[in-house]
Amino acid sequence: MTERRPIQKILVANRGEIAVRILRTCREMGIRTVAVFSESDRGSLHVRLADEAVHVGPGPARESYLVPERILDAAARTGADAIHPGYGFLSERADFNRACRAAGLTFIGPLPESQEAMGVKTSARRRMQAAGVPVVPGSEGPIDDEGVAAAEAERIGFPLMLKAAAGGGGKGMKRCDRAADFPKLWQAAKRESASAFGDDRIYLEKFLDGPRHVEVQVFADEHGNVVHMGERECSVQRRHQKIVEESPSPVVDAAMRAAMGKVAVEAARAVGYVGAGTVEFLVDASRNFHFLEMNTRLQVEHPVTEMVTGIDLVRLQIEVARGGRVPAQGEIVRRGHAIEVRIYAEDPARGFLPSPGKITYLRVPGGPGLRDDSGVYGGWVVPPHYDPMISKLVAWAPTRPQAIGRMLGALADYHVHGIATNVHYLRAVLDHPAFRSGAYDTGFCSAFAKELVKPPDPALEPVALIAAAVAAHRRDHDRADAFATRAHGPGSAWASAGRARATRGGDR
Amino acid sequence: MTATTYVALLDGGKREETLRVKRIAPGVYGVTLRGVTRRVDAFPHDHGTISLLVDAESYSVQLDERGNGVRVHLRDSVFPIEILDERRARMRRPPGKLTAEGRLELSARVSGRVAAILRAPGEAVREGDGVLVVEAMGMENEVRSPKDGKVVEVAVSVGHSVEGGAVLAIVD
Repeated sequence: MTERRPIQKILVANRGEIAVRILRTCREMGIRTVAVFSESDRGSLHVRLADEAVHVGPGPARESYLVPERILDAAARTGADAIHPGYGFLSERADFNRACRAAGLTFIGPLPESQEAMGVKTSARRRMQAAGVPVVPGSEGPIDDEGVAAAEAERIGFPLMLKAAAGGGGKGMKRCDRAADFPKLWQAAKRESASAFGDDRIYLEKFLDGPRHVEVQVFADEHGNVVHMGERECSVQRRHQKIVEESPSPVVDAAMRAAMGKVAVEAARAVGYVGAGTVEFLVDASRNFHFLEMNTRLQVEHPVTEMVTGIDLVRLQIEVARGGRVPAQGEIVRRGHAIEVRIYAEDPARGFLPSPGKITYLRVPGGPGLRDDSGVYGGWVVPPHYDPMISKLVAWAPTRPQAIGRMLGALADYHVHGIATNVHYLRAVLDHPAFRSGAYDTGFCSAFAKELVKPPDPALEPVALIAAAVAAHRRDHDRADAFATRAHGPGSAWASAGRARATRGGDR
Repeated sequence: MTATTYVALLDGGKREETLRVKRIAPGVYGVTLRGVTRRVDAFPHDHGTISLLVDAESYSVQLDERGNGVRVHLRDSVFPIEILDERRARMRRPPGKLTAEGRLELSARVSGRVAAILRAPGEAVREGDGVLVVEAMGMENEVRSPKDGKVVEVAVSVGHSVEGGAVLAIVD
């Protein structure tokens, strides 16, 4: 299969920042685009950016973005020849992948067989074990019956993790510390998983103490070439959701990178992988790595890899889907340090409660080495139906300390009004001595919970009060033009020019 | 020019401060707080952003107006403040004390979908027990009972969409 498949119009089967990010690359490549949107996403940024957009159902994802027929129907109606699934939603559903191909569409991703092999996480683990890669102990397969699961939990031992078989992104993932909590967590995991993936199968995995989450980006083409692009460190997690990612990892040196890269490439080869994939590992305190799972799609945190390699992973996905080749391993050169933070619509002061609603004002930072992958704009109403992530901010710099400094400055310039966000929390994370030292694990956010959610600084309170009082005074007493008068001086040249033009009867 | 006195409520009305504001020139004010008067030069930038020079100290302040109050963003701090003019502050009754006694309404803290009902009407609950689960943005949030008692009524069923603030159940 070496013939070039023309891809001229891509339907992006996703929403939010990732849809926007994919659409941008398509536009750069001169490929026409189709967006899909639910009832609550009519005003979404991705709809504005696409050449065509098709309504695919009501707000809840399970009635719109998660319905394969609706997406395929939209592709048929608009004459799209390829589908990019993004991450989440239908991206790892082999049935959807297969249906796309049956409909004559190019699915931008691996073969459905590869997704099935890795999708059932337990069979993937057995395969890796056979290849001599250590894995985290857990249940043999997804478990249907709660009683059987509870017995299996006793056998594995506590603490343990309940994980969605179709999972990813922390959805449907629960940590269980004792048998008494198991039934409640089991039900919660099933519900969350069903809602996020349309699949409520759950499996169990032993919880390793003090682990780091390190993953390797792999890329494969259909000509048998498989390369890796180094690691991403993703140990800063809240509720099993990654919130800060960086590359390189502070614990990975060149030898360890080569060893992990080799295993990751083998994992991809073992399932005949094509396209972009991520092999996730847990790294223990002695820097041994254990295979966790492979994500058969583009990862949320892929920009970190893009910043250090200079490669546009979405462009490469499209090239590979057209029948192109990946670069040789030796051509992939990593440079400097990149950090990504995930900006969520949630309120750290209220237990990280999701904070959907209208963004009344938005200003994002700029400057050297910064990238804001956002899915929102000022005036947009963040709907309650989807993931609360509104943007990913990425900073690149030659060294890790410089990248941290750059990100701290950028976050100070990130302003979102109308809804609560975790921006200040993220600054506290990056500024924390444990983060700065690089010696942190997946327990970081819970270990330092109190230091990361800070009360307002009392030293700044007088200034805040003065600002509020002056604003009230302006509103109550100052003439609306008082500031304008000062800004432009009495008798502003612009104002008089405007008046003069109006009396003349408009522009000439 | 006469000065205006404002009362600022902090910590949801638990504390208050009094400020006197007098306009000296366009955009320049004398502000008295805690017995100290400072010269404040306020220059508005785009929506919600004000550059403040308090004497010579420079601050970039973000004012996020919310209902009655304003959230003042300043460096890594957010101060929720409610500003009242003096007359309105006097007219306002002191806020009532909240106690977890009698019939209490459990309401949704955020818009979402009812994912589960953990306690049926008639069932006993202890303080902190989950009564319902509301799913918002793919995450589950448990609505807990603020007191020991009994569930009197559940006003919603699984799958219902609820707005933030909607009454979900009553505990007595």
